Amino acid sequence: MSRWGYFGRRLLLSVPVLVVGATLTFLMIRFSPTDPAAAIVGNTNTEAGREAYMAVRQDLGLTQPLLQHYVTYMTDLFTLQLGQSWVVSRGTPTVELLRIYGPRTLWLAFWAVLIPIFVGIPVGFYAGLNPNTPVDYLLSSTGIVWRAMPNFWLAVILLTALSQLEFAGVTWGSLGVETTVTGSPDLSNLLNPQNLFGAVKQILPAAVVLGSASMGSEIRIARTAVLETINANYVEVARARGVPERLVLGKHVFRNALVPLVPTITNEAFVLVGGSLIVEVVFNINGVGYLFYQAAVNGDLPLLAALTFVFILIVVFMNLVQDFLYVLIDPRVGYDNQ
Amino acid sequence: MTDEDTAGANAADECEGTAGVSTPGEDEGTTGANAAGEDEGATGANAAGADEDPSFRERLAAAPRPAALWALGAVLVVLPELGALVETLVVLGSQVPAVLATALAGAEWVRDLSLGAFGPAGWAVALALWAFALAVVVEVLRLAVPTRALLRRFAPDVAEGAEHRTLVRYERAVLAVAVAAAVLLAYTPALGLVDGAIGVFVSALSPLRELPTLLSREVIPNQGHRLPGGGWEGTFLGLPPAFAWALRVALIYLYAAVCVWWGLRGYRVYRRHYRVSSWTPTDDTLGALRVHRWGNFGFLVVFLFVTMAVFAPALGPTTVQENIERPYSYSIQYLNEETGGIEEITVGRANGESRSRGLPDTNVGPLTYDDFGRFHPFGTLPNGKDLFTFIVAGARISLVIGLLSAGASAAIAVVVALATAYYKGVLDLAMVVIGDTIMGVPRLLILVLLTVLLGDTWLSEIYSGGVLLALILAGTGWPYLWRTVRGPALQVAEEEWIDAARSFGAAPARIMRKHMAPYIVGYLLVYFSMVLGGVILAVAGLTFLGLGITAPTPEWGRAVNLGQDYVASPSWHISLIPGILITLIVMGFNAVGDAVRDAIDPEAEGGTESGVEGRGGGA
Repeated sequence: MSRWGYFGRRLLLSVPVLVVGATLTFLMIRFSPTDPAAAIVGNTNTEAGREAYMAVRQDLGLTQPLLQHYVTYMTDLFTLQLGQSWVVSRGTPTVELLRIYGPRTLWLAFWAVLIPIFVGIPVGFYAGLNPNTPVDYLLSSTGIVWRAMPNFWLAVILLTALSQLEFAGVTWGSLGVETTVTGSPDLSNLLNPQNLFGAVKQILPAAVVLGSASMGSEIRIARTAVLETINANYVEVARARGVPERLVLGKHVFRNALVPLVPTITNEAFVLVGGSLIVEVVFNINGVGYLFYQAAVNGDLPLLAALTFVFILIVVFMNLVQDFLYVLIDPRVGYDNQ
Repeated sequence: MTDEDTAGANAADECEGTAGVSTPGEDEGTTGANAAGEDEGATGANAAGADEDPSFRERLAAAPRPAALWALGAVLVVLPELGALVETLVVLGSQVPAVLATALAGAEWVRDLSLGAFGPAGWAVALALWAFALAVVVEVLRLAVPTRALLRRFAPDVAEGAEHRTLVRYERAVLAVAVAAAVLLAYTPALGLVDGAIGVFVSALSPLRELPTLLSREVIPNQGHRLPGGGWEGTFLGLPPAFAWALRVALIYLYAAVCVWWGLRGYRVYRRHYRVSSWTPTDDTLGALRVHRWGNFGFLVVFLFVTMAVFAPALGPTTVQENIERPYSYSIQYLNEETGGIEEITVGRANGESRSRGLPDTNVGPLTYDDFGRFHPFGTLPNGKDLFTFIVAGARISLVIGLLSAGASAAIAVVVALATAYYKGVLDLAMVVIGDTIMGVPRLLILVLLTVLLGDTWLSEIYSGGVLLALILAGTGWPYLWRTVRGPALQVAEEEWIDAARSFGAAPARIMRKHMAPYIVGYLLVYFSMVLGGVILAVAGLTFLGLGITAPTPEWGRAVNLGQDYVASPSWHISLIPGILITLIVMGFNAVGDAVRDAIDPEAEGGTESGVEGRGGGA
């Protein structure tokens, strides 16, 4: 199978995943042990409550025959008519909610991916270049601890540290631009440096927590990758031919060591989508994870189903991007009989 | 830990042995495929198939001394805790009617749901699923009962003459009737019979329950009160409660260490005196594990954690029942400093006076006494309850959920991996799609989603929601495990011995079980401990959000949540201690997984990411 054939197969395979995922959300609305309409209305014992209940059932399509409901539901999802919120923000279309909440989560995820890349990978490379030295042990074990720490706990600790500590009268809040430790970043007018700095600073603690586990993984994998390439024959040959050490490292070691890091980074980005829920709840950021949590706690099942579908969509898309990168970077893809 | 391991290996070996007898022609294949997952306990059963080697029993009879000595030691080790063991048995046994009743409730729930949703057709589908589930149960039972060994012992001529397939058919029929009878029994008032039988069982064991247990809070009590003239009343030898408690904890850990040591010694005795071959690959694996320093750290952490969970009731300075669940139903005596007299107060009121709320005068820190002469090794919670008792009880619930869900997802992963590797084609594709879909929703989101959806059902009431959590974690966790063993499974399915077995006419189920499974299980072992760490993390994360284990049942995530306002205050211990413990334990389980992987497969460097490991990002 050729490389593009491989990619085509992956593309084709993502279709049933989407369909099965959408069907699962349908089952959730139609057959969940928690009646979505009852969860929305709350009290169904009064006359008005019962009427409201029937109306909601009608609106959700629960009164339609099974097959017809399924067909309309699936068509709606795949044409991205994602319905509306019923409890969290009654009447607001889901798409509108995503437009409001989405950018904050994207901003958070962007920094949560970026920080580990720019901290974890250099640290890992450094440890790999100086293996089995005290510094290596220190860095590697920090990475291991950093990886195992639960996000929710790290968030709580960091939150307190930032809001209580002060050095020479400077606290985190008053550093540079005045911000609070928790709360959503203001993403309007990012071209203004003042606003940009404020928005970055506002998201930074949450991003560090969210990226913590990725950072640990990236330290570890970068270290192993450097160790593996530095002992490779071509590196030795380059050295023997008198290629300057700088060039050996830059061109032959680091570049090759980056290959195993690409899937790690994309996989980590995938984990972040889920992790954002806890971080956003603790840091009180009104992002999509927070929205999902609110929908779950308040029994807003239609919104929950739509959000789940959106998440599946994102993940499938990200997986495709990863496969695409693979095909571009690694000429062996599609030929090894995986 | 070791005990369970050995028991598991034994059971597996019995199946091997039983099956091995019937068709000696396939034995070469077995030993080859066995290399990864074999022995530990009694390869002796295996050797019964080959004619030259004496059976395990014969070897025992030939040199009984080392085994007898070891068994004597084992009896001595068990004796001090016999009462507690019997107590555990009785408690577990008395749960049987409740489990049956729950299963019935589950059946009714499924029936109502399917009838309500799809009408009679749905009910028919549900019935078919039930029948399938029953068939699976029957098959598992059949594999677990060593029919052939029994036959060989009691009716050798029948065993020799019987065709393998006929025998299997008979076994299935008998078991199906038995299971059907059991189900019928459960539907009729005969459920009372079960209750009665259990009552008899309990009363027969009751004299044993009275046996003193060395490591109990009754033998070494730490709860007492100060005397007006100094000294303590009611504690062990009049020691201060802190010392009495520390003594008990030290003894418990010593005892657990002795148990583990004796178990390992038992394996050494077996290896030196009773194993046929003087060397097996397992020896090398164990040797590698011994010198793996990172792994040693992991095993130590896991040992400390498991002991904490197993001995939870005896480890705490007080009990969950008394201190956390029903504090107003118990009372304690204390020395009132003002009046100088001994007074009585309910635990609930005493807790109210021992809160940790972040102010210097309303705080009971780690390793301190409160005003009522109660010692708090980890301090108190904001509501005045004892944090250490909370932590050890939480350890137990975490471990139970972890074992349940990791076990279930490992079982699903093995079955799926075997079936897809053997049949390939459409089945493989379908499972890939299902697995990808499950992995497609971020884990934490799907956990939140399902806990909310299933939160109102009868399932969520068992074990404070623990069983529901375990099921959800298993249902969403197996694709990750499957992905790690899919490669090896596909590989082994291509081997020549599989073809050979097929051409001998072996049934697919048998090929998968005997020739493919042992190879897979070795790989699975590596990830099992990592999954455990991940599950503990996930449960803590959900409970932190208020969605997992319901209050007041202790769970570590809730302690972190309760203490989050006090991190930078004198009451820092509430959030910090559980968090550090979670981090340590997750690291420990990951380390064990790393060590086992390095020992089994030295080629695989730590560079590959499995996605199974416990990591902070998941929760």
